[in-house]
Amino acid sequence: MKEVVNLTKLFINESLGLSLFFYNQKFNRKEFYKQLFTLIIVPVALIPAFFMYVSLMSATYFGLTMINQTSVFLSIGYIMATVLIIVFGVMYILSEFYFSDNIEELIPLPISQRKLIVAKFLSILVFEYIFAAFIFGPILIIYGVGQGMGLLYVLLSFLVFLTIPVLPLSLMTALIMLMMQSASLKGRKDMLQIVFVFIGLVVIFGVQIWFTSQLGNGDEVDFQLLMNTMLTNNEGFLNIIGYIMPTSFLMAWTLNKITLMSFAWVGALLGITLLSGALMVAIGERVYLKSIVSGKTIKKGKQLSGAQRNKALGKKSHGAMAVFTMDLRLLLRTPVYFFNNISVVIIAPLCILLSVSFIEIPPEDLQGMQDFFRAMPLLINYLLIAFFIFFGGTSATTATTFSREGKASWLTRMIPVTARDQIVGRTGVAMLIQSLGIVFTIISIQFIFPLTLSTLLVTVILGILGSLPILLFGLFMDMNRPLLNWDNPQKAIKNNMNVVITLFVGMAYTGLLIGVCGLLGYFINPLLGYGMFMMISVAISVVFYKVINNRLEAEFLNFES
Amino acid sequence: MLKLEHISKTYGNKNEKAVDDVSFEVYPGEIFGFVGPNGAGKTTTIKMIVSLLAPNSGKITINGIDNQNDILAAKKQFSYVPDSPELFEKIKGIEYLKFMADVYQVPAVERQERIEKYLDIFEIKDAVNDPIGSFSHGMKQKLALVGALIHDPQVFILDEPMVGLDPKASFELKKIMRDHCDRGRSVFFSTHVLDVAEKICDRIAIIKKGKIIEVGTMAEIREKAGSQESLENIFLELTE
Ligand SMILES: Nc1ncnc2c1ncn2[C@@H]1O[C@H](COP(=O)(O)OP(=O)(O)OP(=O)(O)O)[C@@H](O)[C@H]1O
Ligand SMILES: [Mg+2]
Repeated sequence: MKEVVNLTKLFINESLGLSLFFYNQKFNRKEFYKQLFTLIIVPVALIPAFFMYVSLMSATYFGLTMINQTSVFLSIGYIMATVLIIVFGVMYILSEFYFSDNIEELIPLPISQRKLIVAKFLSILVFEYIFAAFIFGPILIIYGVGQGMGLLYVLLSFLVFLTIPVLPLSLMTALIMLMMQSASLKGRKDMLQIVFVFIGLVVIFGVQIWFTSQLGNGDEVDFQLLMNTMLTNNEGFLNIIGYIMPTSFLMAWTLNKITLMSFAWVGALLGITLLSGALMVAIGERVYLKSIVSGKTIKKGKQLSGAQRNKALGKKSHGAMAVFTMDLRLLLRTPVYFFNNISVVIIAPLCILLSVSFIEIPPEDLQGMQDFFRAMPLLINYLLIAFFIFFGGTSATTATTFSREGKASWLTRMIPVTARDQIVGRTGVAMLIQSLGIVFTIISIQFIFPLTLSTLLVTVILGILGSLPILLFGLFMDMNRPLLNWDNPQKAIKNNMNVVITLFVGMAYTGLLIGVCGLLGYFINPLLGYGMFMMISVAISVVFYKVINNRLEAEFLNFES
Repeated sequence: MLKLEHISKTYGNKNEKAVDDVSFEVYPGEIFGFVGPNGAGKTTTIKMIVSLLAPNSGKITINGIDNQNDILAAKKQFSYVPDSPELFEKIKGIEYLKFMADVYQVPAVERQERIEKYLDIFEIKDAVNDPIGSFSHGMKQKLALVGALIHDPQVFILDEPMVGLDPKASFELKKIMRDHCDRGRSVFFSTHVLDVAEKICDRIAIIKKGKIIEVGTMAEIREKAGSQESLENIFLELTE
């Protein structure tokens, strides 16, 4: 037991980088204050979001009181928490169990496989409990207060809360372990991870679509109909949720009305949870280390002849091109990077396409939309621009560009490549990804209504130009504080505050810019708005370019100290 | 060729200096060895030479170029192989070599000739189309060496080059180093293997706790120590 606790502490320490944090406190004050600052600023930045979430949930609760449907409130929250835990958990499970280097050091030690699995699982669980506290905690409290529940509710809801992350996580872990086992047999761990995550997303997405179409009783999603279903069929909604996640019944029966039976239900819930944990451990003991050991095989390339080698070496190409190619290859070939930086440009347009094909728009409505669009091109244009900037800003490609290289970044800093080539090459990769997103989006929008040529031109140009300041800001952040000391590529992105900061700053900036230019365009002249947009974007980009260009070489000297 | 003047470096806000007022010069055509116990400051010194760290004070000139004034020009003068080269695991060997040839702007014919030659010498031709992640430690080191030799640098800088290489490869590397210097260029490397230092270095610097305690040819160092002992014994006495 003590060994498991120690191992868990070790894993948590590792994933947070606590040792380095306390080392810096003693020996590297500057770094320490930087880390401390981000430790404080991120929770502070999240407070408004949390506040909004709580208000939204309270509003939902009161809405449900009106239609006498409070009994579904907890179930909605339960499903939501579970889905979120699964979505965020997948990457954590994969990275803790399969992409963390510590396992190679631990295998030779005399620690039983079971203890390793339990400790790794617990180290993920700790974070998921914190997450669940913020997501499900408010829901339990709102319901409890709203219904005037007593002490028993507190006790029972605490027990329910304990089970929340365990069940989905352990089932997910078991599933991943089984998939990794079959993947490692084929020696293609990397690609499989991508495929797996995509399948997971498609399934979740599919369930959601199916869910909405169930409610609507047909092709047409009609709000009136939805309300009717809910009002006339008391248990209908609850049942639908229950089909997706059967344990939500147990949860609802336990907490919706406190009776003696509640104790039996909560007991059953705890039992099922423990069983799922045991199942995960049992499966893990059969497959985990075996697939780790065999999964380390890397697929080799063909042997090359002299002529082929010379062809691969090619002619002299430009420094910016060399940086661009290297950055792109790393992005495409490292699953975690691919998933975080590239998949969004495929998934987002796909979502548009899917939602269009599932929701049937009557022809007269479509006509109405198109008329509206013709009357209000400005609105559509700026909406599209915002969407296009979204691909640039959210992918955080430039905000992690140096961090992604990790311990191999010495090479980047040692070679004689000009700052200009570094900026062009690395920003170029981000712009390529963004352009892909733009192309996919335009294609999928064509299915709803054809865009005019002027809209196409304006949105593509301004979308790319408008995201340039954000891309360069990301590069600026990563130049100043890269995260290089990781043992698992997941951390280069997930533990990287540059991503969060760039995202927040980028969204605020985009909102402001589009707001101002949109109003200018609406009240004075559309061309004036677009012109202003272009000028501001170009001006800020030039400033950032100059700053990075001047500072990059000097900052490279600070990466290690 | 390579000149360090009063270089000092402190990490973070630690009290002691990792490198303390280090000065020495490497001349053209010379193999220069840098020896000292663990934690003496060898790697730190090398990192300052190759622009991976900024010194707190002092000046470094490489082939006449101040590496704090004109970083880019200074970088073109040397190539560097770290003690355990961390390379991009997902990149193939050949892609890495092309990258290095591109960033040093090596023309097509020369890159082909040199790469063929060094791939043969280090016997990694067959692996060159595999991802670097599948390379053994020694193979990675060999690949880094080939990459570093592509542009035929003025100063060839290596940190612990012999560790991890098999006897054949370290023999070949020594030959390459000698060859390099015979063409008027210089080699600067750190090592723990005192036999190697004694046999192939024209001059040696001994560093201890960040300070240079001896610089000179083997003969000069012997003379100062007043003995005909091997470098190993002198080293043990000096660093005691
Ligand atoms: N990144 C760092 N942060 C803080 N201190 C460091 C760092 N790197 C090295 N040091 C310290 O600087 C001193 C010199 O280290 P350095 O790596 O230069 O030694 P070395 O001579 O290369 O040793 P070895 O023979 O073991 O490779 C040591 O005391 C070490 O603890
Ligand atoms: Mg060293």
